[in-house]
Amino acid sequence: MYIDENSKVVVQGITGEQGAFHTQLMLNYGTNIVAGVTPKKGGQEVAGVPVFNTMKEAIKETGANTSIVIVPARFAAGATRESLYAGILITCIITENVPVFDMIQLVEKASKKGLHLVGPNCPGMLIPDKIKLGIMPGDMCHYGDVAVISKSGTLSYEITKAIGDNGIGVSAYIGIGGDPVRGTTMKEAVEYYSDDPNTKLIVLVGEIGGDEEEKTAQFIKKNVSKPVIAYIAGKSAPEGKRMGHAGAIISGDFGSALGKIKVLKTAGVCIADTPWGIPSLIKDLI
Amino acid sequence: MRLLEYESKDVFGQFAIPLAKYIVLKNPNEIVEKVGIFSFPAIIKSQIAIGSRKKAGLIKIAQNQSEAISLCQDFFKKNEAGFAVEAIIIEELVEIHQEFYCSITLDASGRQFYLITSKEGGIDIEEVSKEHPEAIIKRKFFYSTGLTEKVARDTAIQLGLSSDVVKSGTEIFLKLWDITQKLEAQLVEINPLVLTPSGLIAVDGKMILDDDAAYRQPIIQNLQEKKLSELEKLAKEAGFSFVELSGDIGILANGAGLTMAILDLLSELGLQPANFLDVGGGASKERVYKGLALILKLKPRAVLVNIFGGITRCDIVAQAIIQALNDFKDAPPMVIRLTGTNEREGISLLKEANVEAFQDVLKAVKKLKEVLNK
Repeated sequence: MYIDENSKVVVQGITGEQGAFHTQLMLNYGTNIVAGVTPKKGGQEVAGVPVFNTMKEAIKETGANTSIVIVPARFAAGATRESLYAGILITCIITENVPVFDMIQLVEKASKKGLHLVGPNCPGMLIPDKIKLGIMPGDMCHYGDVAVISKSGTLSYEITKAIGDNGIGVSAYIGIGGDPVRGTTMKEAVEYYSDDPNTKLIVLVGEIGGDEEEKTAQFIKKNVSKPVIAYIAGKSAPEGKRMGHAGAIISGDFGSALGKIKVLKTAGVCIADTPWGIPSLIKDLI
Repeated sequence: MRLLEYESKDVFGQFAIPLAKYIVLKNPNEIVEKVGIFSFPAIIKSQIAIGSRKKAGLIKIAQNQSEAISLCQDFFKKNEAGFAVEAIIIEELVEIHQEFYCSITLDASGRQFYLITSKEGGIDIEEVSKEHPEAIIKRKFFYSTGLTEKVARDTAIQLGLSSDVVKSGTEIFLKLWDITQKLEAQLVEINPLVLTPSGLIAVDGKMILDDDAAYRQPIIQNLQEKKLSELEKLAKEAGFSFVELSGDIGILANGAGLTMAILDLLSELGLQPANFLDVGGGASKERVYKGLALILKLKPRAVLVNIFGGITRCDIVAQAIIQALNDFKDAPPMVIRLTGTNEREGISLLKEANVEAFQDVLKAVKKLKEVLNK
């Protein structure tokens, strides 16, 4: 899970429109991008970054150890597989609409190899003032001691910007993504940041669907002494409709916002009624 | 995507899972003809995407043809929890000796699969797992290992199947796994699986497939084509996430989570959203314009636009809004909230066009209430 200003980043899909655009924004932020990979496009440069045909080649030439995948959905599994076989420690999958069965197999592979995946369908990770490995706005906040862990993109930008605007700093922003099967689950992210000495408080941005909030709540109850604030989107969402994200669907009693809020409360988590109320809750708790 | 009973049974049939004899009615015009070729008494089942159809009175027994005709006519008019009855199954009554539950489910957060079975068939499995967890047999397995024949057979034995049906039980469980893999299913469920004098039969079925696998799963493409409403198809072509809701306030926002948060905020204030529309990241002027045009088709009383500009530019959004207001003279009042990239430019463009815009969401919602009260 660990990235910092020393991470050597390779962008998979660097020659695509989105890949090139976000490579430039990450470079502007100061991210140490050492290579790009697009099959059959090796030899060129994008924003001054050398492009290679394969991950193996990119790693051999540049020592890259962290990857960001910005390729169309049907190529995302192949790109991620290549990254895992090449031994990249952290692969962050930005791509949306990656089939669930691709992710199931990739996650199994990653855990066997002891490597990490983040995403898919996520904005990436940001350690403010150090590294931006993602597509989120870089100017939301400065470095500090609040970790933000979110299933959604834009909603968490809004929250993180509000946190920053209130003069509160962020130790890490992790977009875990809006798909049902995640490379890094909410519980795993909380586990990591509850041990992180630079993090004093954790903000969770959850939403309807699945049971990751429930599993996270169980973990928090037993293991986390740091204050945790959560906002859960989708209190008014109807049953059985996919609300944008592939994972955001209530089926029967399973995955409702109220169910999640109830167990999080029981675990001692402070619930924010609206996203805009989070900064003042942080001030109360720190 | 959730498959209805008859769609799931189509699949079961292709994989040679034994079924009771049934026919499918896809519209009211077929009632008389199809009822005429079936023998009664029989069971009439509405095909609708909700659970507990029996409780909702949407599954009933017809003693004869005339009862069947009136039940079918009645069912085709039914709407429940925002879903319509899409079709009707007429199925033979089978002699039931025992009922079971069986499914293969993806545990998404655990990134594994479960074979779930129970002797308590035919009822709500979620309720059983809460109240009598001991009545459920769960076998966990990884994708790479798959459901092995040994696990399937052990489960059949543990369920108490008599020795002459253990083999067919095992086969059915293995077929569920085969379907799961081949169709990329997140749930394949038979509930109930019933023991009849002629062996095990699937009486009801349910499946959930992955919309994101549509490009390599023709079955999903066909079902999407059939199931999406006209507006949902328009939205899909334009690349939005769109869900029609029952209220009267049109919503255009960016980001699925943020859009949900806005819907929640409105609902808490007693306002009813007409839709969920996530216009997506980095939206062009054309996309935002198309989104507004789509929402206006719902004839809302007012429209709330809420944009957080990251890679989306607020000035571009403002231009789209101005163009929509010019083109749709009968458009209801619009309240705009813009924040993030180029918000000042966006807000001043809107001011020049006499449209009120806000940076603060709570102020925008307050304005929306005022507009609605006029």
